[in-house]
Amino acid sequence: MNKVITINLNGNAYPLEENGYEALRTYLDTAARRLAGNPDQAEIIADIEQAIADKFRAVLSANKTVVVTAEVEQIIAEMGPVEDATGPAPEPPPAAAPGPAGAESGPAPKAAETGGTAKRLYRIKDGAMIAGVCNGFAAYFNLDVTLVRVLFAVLAVLTWGVVAIPLYLILVFLLPTAHTSAEKAAAHGAPSTAEEFIRRAREGYYQGMKTFHDKRAHRQWKRQFKQEMRGWKRSFRQEMRNHAQHWSQTWHHAWAPQPRPHILAWVLLPIISLALFIMGLAAAIAFLSLLCTGALFGVLLPHGIPLWIGLVFIIVAYHVVAWPLKSTRYFLFYHGTGGFGRPYGGGGSLAWLVFLVLLVWVADRHVPEFHQALYNLPPMIHQAVDSVRQWWDQR
Amino acid sequence: MSINEKFSAIRKGLLEFLVLKIIAADRVYVADILKQLSATEFATQEGTLYPLLSKMRREQLVDYEWTESEAGPPRKYYSLTAKGREQLRETSDYWQKISGTVKALGQKPGT
Repeated sequence: MNKVITINLNGNAYPLEENGYEALRTYLDTAARRLAGNPDQAEIIADIEQAIADKFRAVLSANKTVVVTAEVEQIIAEMGPVEDATGPAPEPPPAAAPGPAGAESGPAPKAAETGGTAKRLYRIKDGAMIAGVCNGFAAYFNLDVTLVRVLFAVLAVLTWGVVAIPLYLILVFLLPTAHTSAEKAAAHGAPSTAEEFIRRAREGYYQGMKTFHDKRAHRQWKRQFKQEMRGWKRSFRQEMRNHAQHWSQTWHHAWAPQPRPHILAWVLLPIISLALFIMGLAAAIAFLSLLCTGALFGVLLPHGIPLWIGLVFIIVAYHVVAWPLKSTRYFLFYHGTGGFGRPYGGGGSLAWLVFLVLLVWVADRHVPEFHQALYNLPPMIHQAVDSVRQWWDQR
Repeated sequence: MSINEKFSAIRKGLLEFLVLKIIAADRVYVADILKQLSATEFATQEGTLYPLLSKMRREQLVDYEWTESEAGPPRKYYSLTAKGREQLRETSDYWQKISGTVKALGQKPGT
């Protein structure tokens, strides 16, 4: 029995037997040492790691999830010693070099262990509608981007944009954009470990069903399957750790003190907030007035247009007008004033909700018509539902 | 010392020329280059080729471009730059001259 060590080569996890891992480490250390002083050292090492990863992928399959030592050695032999094309003669071959003890003291194989991680959530600006958030999600979950957008739009409408739009803006701010080709590759990436895990589990299950009647084969399958699952659990945990690390890094970057409170922000923020508040109030009053009296501030809806279309129109119009202001405000919050922090996130919508309830309560106490309307609300809702049903039946 | 060993330095020196030739003929990535060389006396390995390509890129003889591949991560596809084509032409001419010299030398005059 051999211990398995999971390594990360250019963003993918590969489980190796321990001795194979040592051999690979020595190889990469030697390569890094020989390329010391080469201006492209990091790039060459990355290329070589990529080539090794390709070879690892070729020997792995659904029924074989660990690269054994002999295969690692074979692959290293195929790669051949790394020779610096610019430098003088390469140093003597590894046989003459100090053994593993010497390699131990050499520079750590940095890229091998801390390089990228597996598939990551990024914003992808190519083909994006707004900022690439939906695009990034689609790539991450391997879904069609239109589906993601529709889901997002449905969420936005259902919640009046209170949840979806701030969420979107937070994600815009939070998710790193995939700029380099490596990042884009990570965004689309090879299947993430979780996805791959499910695929293999399913495959293994079918294999198990096939051997069901052959007792011995079945027992063997079971053992292998369990072993495989254990290996994947390990690499999954590893991936989660990497993710956590990556996110904490992102957050550190994001919340690093930005010591340049823009004077403009302090002036603009109250104005924008006030404008948003007034617009929200106007929209709420228009909504209620339409709901209660069937007319928008005394003006009746054009004939033939049902009440609910008017209501939806008000919501949409409000969001269309408020969106630029809101995004400006977000921008000012996060980039203009350093110490202002992030109280808005979910707190904003909560405060907005509390305000709305308060408004209804005050209106209920002091405006008799409103009280009456609230009292009559159930029939109103019935009416709205009826008009939807009528519209549906007409189709 | 076998012939093979005697010529190892010459093969090494010629490798850049051959890589230029391969890249000039087609847009290739490293595995293509290795495959084309593998059937010849110049068979080489990634450990040699990657540092060579990076040196050639630094000398602006070749350039690469990331291209998505249907299997696995994107690959670096190499192409020649204007300088690389110029170098290839010069090297080809020089090679012609050398092999002409090799052939011509030592022959008895008059034959």
